[in-house]
Amino acid sequence: MGPSLTYIILAIATLMTLLLTLGSAWVVQSWGIIATFVVVGSLVYLALKVESARLELNELRRLRAAYDQLDKQAKLIIRTDLELHRTQEELDRRLTSLMSLHQLGRQLEVSLRPEEVFSKLDTATVMRFGFSKGLLGQCPSPDTVEWRSLIRISQSAADHLKTHLVASGLLKQILAKPAPTMLQSASVTDQAQRKLLQLLEVPAVVVAGVAPHAGPAGCLLLGREGASNSSDAKADEELVSVLTNQLEIAVDNSTLYEQSWRSQQELERKVQERTHELAEANAELIRLNKAKSDFVSAVSHELRTPLAAVKGYAALLGKGQFGALNTPQAERVAKMERHADLLTQLIDNLLDIARIESGRITMERILIPVKEFLATIHEVVHPQLEAKRLRYLVESDGVVQLVGDPQHLRRVFINLLSNAIKYTPEGGMIRFHLKPEGSSVLASVSDTGCGIAPEELPKLFQEFYRANDPINQQIRGTGLGLALVKRIIEAHQGQIWVNSEKEKGSTFSIRLPVG
Amino acid sequence: MPTATASGSLTATIGWSEHADAAIAGKEAAESALKRLSSLKPRLALVFGSSWFNQAQLVQGIRSVVGQIPLAGESTAGEISPRGPVSRSCVVLLIASEPLVCRVGVGERVDRAPRAAGQQAARAVLREFPGGTRAGFLLFGDGLVTGYEEAVRGIQEILGTSTPIVGGMAGDDLRFVQTYQYANHQVVSRAVVGVLLGGPVKLGVGIEHGFAPISKPRRITRARGNILYELDEQPAASVYEEYLGPELVQRMRGRGLMRQGIAYPLGIQLEETDQWLLRSVVSFGEDGSLSCSGEVLQDAWLQLMIGNRELALEAARKAAQHAIRSLNQVGCVLVFDSAIRRTLLGSQHAALEIARIREVIGVSTPLVGCYTYGEHAPFGATAAYGRTATHTGSVLVVALGT
Repeated sequence: MGPSLTYIILAIATLMTLLLTLGSAWVVQSWGIIATFVVVGSLVYLALKVESARLELNELRRLRAAYDQLDKQAKLIIRTDLELHRTQEELDRRLTSLMSLHQLGRQLEVSLRPEEVFSKLDTATVMRFGFSKGLLGQCPSPDTVEWRSLIRISQSAADHLKTHLVASGLLKQILAKPAPTMLQSASVTDQAQRKLLQLLEVPAVVVAGVAPHAGPAGCLLLGREGASNSSDAKADEELVSVLTNQLEIAVDNSTLYEQSWRSQQELERKVQERTHELAEANAELIRLNKAKSDFVSAVSHELRTPLAAVKGYAALLGKGQFGALNTPQAERVAKMERHADLLTQLIDNLLDIARIESGRITMERILIPVKEFLATIHEVVHPQLEAKRLRYLVESDGVVQLVGDPQHLRRVFINLLSNAIKYTPEGGMIRFHLKPEGSSVLASVSDTGCGIAPEELPKLFQEFYRANDPINQQIRGTGLGLALVKRIIEAHQGQIWVNSEKEKGSTFSIRLPVG
Repeated sequence: MPTATASGSLTATIGWSEHADAAIAGKEAAESALKRLSSLKPRLALVFGSSWFNQAQLVQGIRSVVGQIPLAGESTAGEISPRGPVSRSCVVLLIASEPLVCRVGVGERVDRAPRAAGQQAARAVLREFPGGTRAGFLLFGDGLVTGYEEAVRGIQEILGTSTPIVGGMAGDDLRFVQTYQYANHQVVSRAVVGVLLGGPVKLGVGIEHGFAPISKPRRITRARGNILYELDEQPAASVYEEYLGPELVQRMRGRGLMRQGIAYPLGIQLEETDQWLLRSVVSFGEDGSLSCSGEVLQDAWLQLMIGNRELALEAARKAAQHAIRSLNQVGCVLVFDSAIRRTLLGSQHAALEIARIREVIGVSTPLVGCYTYGEHAPFGATAAYGRTATHTGSVLVVALGT
């Protein structure tokens, strides 16, 4: 509306001015006053319009300034956002590198020899670290390097690099100061370093030494395309530092592994040697034991005949065959007879043990009816039981028969019962118990006697061992009874063991196969 | 991991292989796609292969399975498989549709004579085309060569402007050394490879980028082709430097494309729309000019653009919605996604972007594609096909169906 109104007013004003000019004589007379009003009105309107335009222009300038201000803010936002992108990019790169380091670490973990560690650098890892080529070598001495990993480097280029590193003394410098260093063609002044970059055909390279505590040292070169700014270079150096650290740990570990593997081999060899020696000693012991048994057997046999003569003559003397004896003589002769009996028993036991050990006695395996078996045993021990007024309890729990050699098994149980009687004070109780146990019979002889000290138990079945107690000091014995019992039971493929408590009593148990 | 769908008369299956050997990868991918087609005969093979493969062996491997059917495709900056964004793999899409007509054509030397190359490709596809409806022209270009706007004009001179031209520019896994395009048995570079699709099939297109303007608008006062000389009558590089700072620009001069640079593309505002065509700065001229990833229009307004992840994901969803809007049945979906977006989004969000597209098109629709160095498509979903342009930083969704 504004502009069109302006044009209409301007048109009227122009028309009026024209009319004033053309017919001023008669118009002035009749329309003068009206025309003057119109002209003045138009001029006032135009003045107002100009003022309004000036205000709008100011507003426009203000808006433009605000727009420019917004644009400046946009620039600020972009710069800030760019920084974020840059940080993100750097983080991504670090993350990728760390992932690669992690993967490489896992590969290095399984390296069993230091040489393997130096050959584990691969193209993918080098690329993920942001480098384009690389060399990793082992340095047997500070004067030489043997390349183990070549990444996008030809063998001839690697040979040239080796020659240059050694000849220029760079290798010694790297090994003396192994921390990673970035060399860039733009800033390097040293001739040797400049030539290194030329040989590698890259504008930047990180050189680092691998200096493990144990094992061989190494040298690492990683070249990259494109120049780096100082923060990139620092990041690269840090990254390579982590990498060399991992390599050092891997070399240390593999060296230790190699050492421990060698120690283990040595140990195994020694164990084998000792085992062999022990086996030989054992064989010698077995041979000696047999010789002992043979000797005992032979000596015992030789002793028996004269002993039978001594016993026979003593018996004849005792019966007065060679004239009546006075009381002291009779007593001495009786003593001779008792001692001869004891000696005979000792020799019999020794002979039996020797026979069983040498396998000259084979145990019969026949069915033994339990009832008769128990009766015969009872017959033998009855007088002793009576003498000490001991209660004798026999339980067979449905066991009707045993399997084995009746004569030897009788010896076993008579022996165990005799011992029980011997060590049980008057008025005590002895229990002979049989019970089935799968394909075996468990036989046990318990007493309410003086019991056996715990430290005596392991030696109880040894030959000639006699428990150290007052009763043994009073009562004579051969120290062979239990040893013989054990051998007879073992010859039956059975087991024997004892449970005892001092002053409460003992239980000797036997497991005898019947199947 | 092949997937398949049958939409009316259009059945598509996907095969994918990550085998390190190019010939085996191609063979495996083609075999698994063919197996899913069961008794149907494939009419067209579209291939997206990693640039790390030996390209000739890859194509040979595929052809040993699919035979002499039309084959087209390109090397990538990453592939989009049924598993999402992947790398160092080969993806093969086989389309079986009895009435589908397709012809593959090649125009060479885009770098020297882009318009002639476009014409050559268009003539080649027309030569054997039996006539009938033309659904669209799939374009595979070389991502390291500029001037494809001219090539598109060349194509349009032969095909007319009523056929939509869509596609992507081949990549080489961000190495920027050489990219490849596949045309039947050939592996070429610096070429226009096109597939003219015809018959009772429809092409739905959606392209979005999700970037928003952040700077004040600048008038492009001097530009020619893809070179931007002046903004507001000042050297373009100095204006660019005002925003990004001298240090970064200095580094970009040395290294070329960088993450920080691609994060702020230039946006050319299209007349009478609220759409911006993106361009990234590829290199800096000695005279203060900027070489851009696509043509720059003189006298248009230009603004620096900014994006974020959520906007980028939303853009993918919108592009997918636009692509399927005009179709009754979607047979398969091709995605040409900018390599810039994958870099900016990161692997996790790049996967989410593809997931957004999948949400729109449905889980059973086969979806394949690749990461590109540029995208070709008409502006917006409803704009005239005559205004096909080269885009940057965008996600292009192409739906094939009925």
